[in-house]
Amino acid sequence: MSDNKKSLTVFKTDRHEDFAAIIGSALIVVVVLTYMAFVVPSVSIKPQQDGKLMEIFVKEGAEIKAGDKIFSLEVVKKKWVKNVMEEKVAIQEFTSKAGGKVLKVAGKPGDKVKKDKGAIIVLEHIKGTLP
Amino acid sequence: MKILLALDDNPRAVEQALLIARGRGAVLNALFVIDATWEMFTGHDWLSGCNARIGFLEYMLSQEEEAAVLALKTYKEQVAGIAGELLTVTGDVVDEIRKEAGKDYDLLVMSNPFTRGLEIMRDPVAKVARKLPCDLLLVRHAAKREESS
Amino acid sequence: MEDKSIFSKLLAIIPGLAVMVGTLYVLRMYVEPWMNEVVVFGSKGWLVKVMSLNYILLSILTGMFYRNVLFAGKIPGWAEDGFRTTRLFIKIGVIMLGSLYTFDKLLKVGGVAIVLIVSFVFGTVIFIMWLGKRLGADRSVTSVMAAACGVCGVSASVATAPGVRAKPVDLAMAIATILGFGIVSMFVSPYIGKALNLSDYQFGAWVGTGILNSGQVLATCLAFNPNFAPGTAVAYGEIWNVVRVISIPFVVFFITAWYWKGEADAEHVSLSTIIASKFPIFVLGFIGMTALSSLHILGAEGSETLHLMRQVMAWVFGIGLVGLGAYIDVREMKAAGGTPLRIGVIAGLVKYVLALIIILAFIPKEGAF
Repeated sequence: MSDNKKSLTVFKTDRHEDFAAIIGSALIVVVVLTYMAFVVPSVSIKPQQDGKLMEIFVKEGAEIKAGDKIFSLEVVKKKWVKNVMEEKVAIQEFTSKAGGKVLKVAGKPGDKVKKDKGAIIVLEHIKGTLP
Repeated sequence: MKILLALDDNPRAVEQALLIARGRGAVLNALFVIDATWEMFTGHDWLSGCNARIGFLEYMLSQEEEAAVLALKTYKEQVAGIAGELLTVTGDVVDEIRKEAGKDYDLLVMSNPFTRGLEIMRDPVAKVARKLPCDLLLVRHAAKREESS
Repeated sequence: MEDKSIFSKLLAIIPGLAVMVGTLYVLRMYVEPWMNEVVVFGSKGWLVKVMSLNYILLSILTGMFYRNVLFAGKIPGWAEDGFRTTRLFIKIGVIMLGSLYTFDKLLKVGGVAIVLIVSFVFGTVIFIMWLGKRLGADRSVTSVMAAACGVCGVSASVATAPGVRAKPVDLAMAIATILGFGIVSMFVSPYIGKALNLSDYQFGAWVGTGILNSGQVLATCLAFNPNFAPGTAVAYGEIWNVVRVISIPFVVFFITAWYWKGEADAEHVSLSTIIASKFPIFVLGFIGMTALSSLHILGAEGSETLHLMRQVMAWVFGIGLVGLGAYIDVREMKAAGGTPLRIGVIAGLVKYVLALIIILAFIPKEGAF
């Protein structure tokens, strides 16, 4: 029976495959967290939604803390309300997820921005924190 | 003359092979392939965890082995007086038949459709026939024959 | 197969894995961006927006193309070991999906998911037991189809088969039927969802309840909305999927007990033995990941860390889905027939349509998170 198991899958049994998947995903998490916290020297903070850049609250060289406002976007907010999709234009403020030093302010108020495209702010975050 | 009979559950293929072997005084080898492609057949099933999948594959192997024992017993009862061997191999049914048929046979006898293991879901006859180094006799499947008549 | 050393096993994985990774790279870097830009029927990005041909469906389709056209129906030996890692990649992706939730979010939706799934699972099982009797089907065929249509498709039939002494031919037909139904629903459901203007919550709930084969639930949700984030179709669909997967051992127990009740040489069926051998352990990884997320260890929502994590998740899933496609042989699906096909089509359609009606009637468009 054990010979069959060896020949049937990459792993001896599904149980091994399950554990390998748990270990694999844990490894990915550890690598990503370590990379972001300690290895990457700075992070580019990109827009999380399509919209228009309205205001940037920080200047180059400024020291900021986690939770500080960094920029605001004019976005179209879509929300289901009573089974109808409601769309309204709103100004949304975004905060920094980690403290650090603003290395560069790449965006300008009035810029049209696309989700996950182009940095607005480049931040040198405090080592050991997750930006 | 050397004949290879690929065994499945079609008694007509066995009858025809025996008839030719007796008539020609030929050597008749019968091949039963234990289908080992269940793992590939269920490879898309990623949700099975713990020992569900391996338990299933072992169960299928035991079913295949039972089918082999039954087929070979039935064959032995009919083959008395004819020279030849009973061969049982485990693997991909088409690959194994083609591999064996490449060993200096004059004729391969098999059922059409060929219903060994998971080949019921595929088109084994066409794959076996492609560039086959010997003659091929296809025997209509008993069950399919009844259906069409 | 001879015993190989770990090193040669890893080496054997490389060619097939390279094909899977390379394929996804080309699809994500070149094909999908091109499809987003190309104008079809006067509409930019029509192929992605209307046809849902995002990298998820493209990965599966390319895998199917490899298997059915390029490899002429059989994954070649050099690629076989690499493609076998498919399940590992998808399981890793599923575990990482746990990072989309916190326990309070799971609790908000979990109750609805459990009620819907338990009623649909046992409703379908009982319906098939009745249908099988009406169609004069063998008890083992009925059992396998009840498990397959009731809970998780192929995985449930695989888990049930040994316990109910299913015949290989019936199993082959059952698996082909379930897979075929799953593949068709995977391509059709996103259009229905968009045509009916379903929200992500409704779509995830519908697909999670109504699709026969759980293996296709996540891919279908991602075809509808390819984003990995809280509140997306895949985030809701996955909750349904996890509840379904957890219920497999219990359904197997119920069906196996029913099968042996009707047999003369009744065997003792133990729930604890079934749970020990069939419980999908990787679900514990999913719960662990949700625990990390609940403790805010994985980074704040909207952070670049979480963004990177979700990018990695998308790649892991994509690689797995190329391999998944390569395990789908269209000819094998077309060969489905007999009683399993009749039971599967009737039960599958009833479940699919009924789930849609119930979702439209009772599940609001506003997502729970």
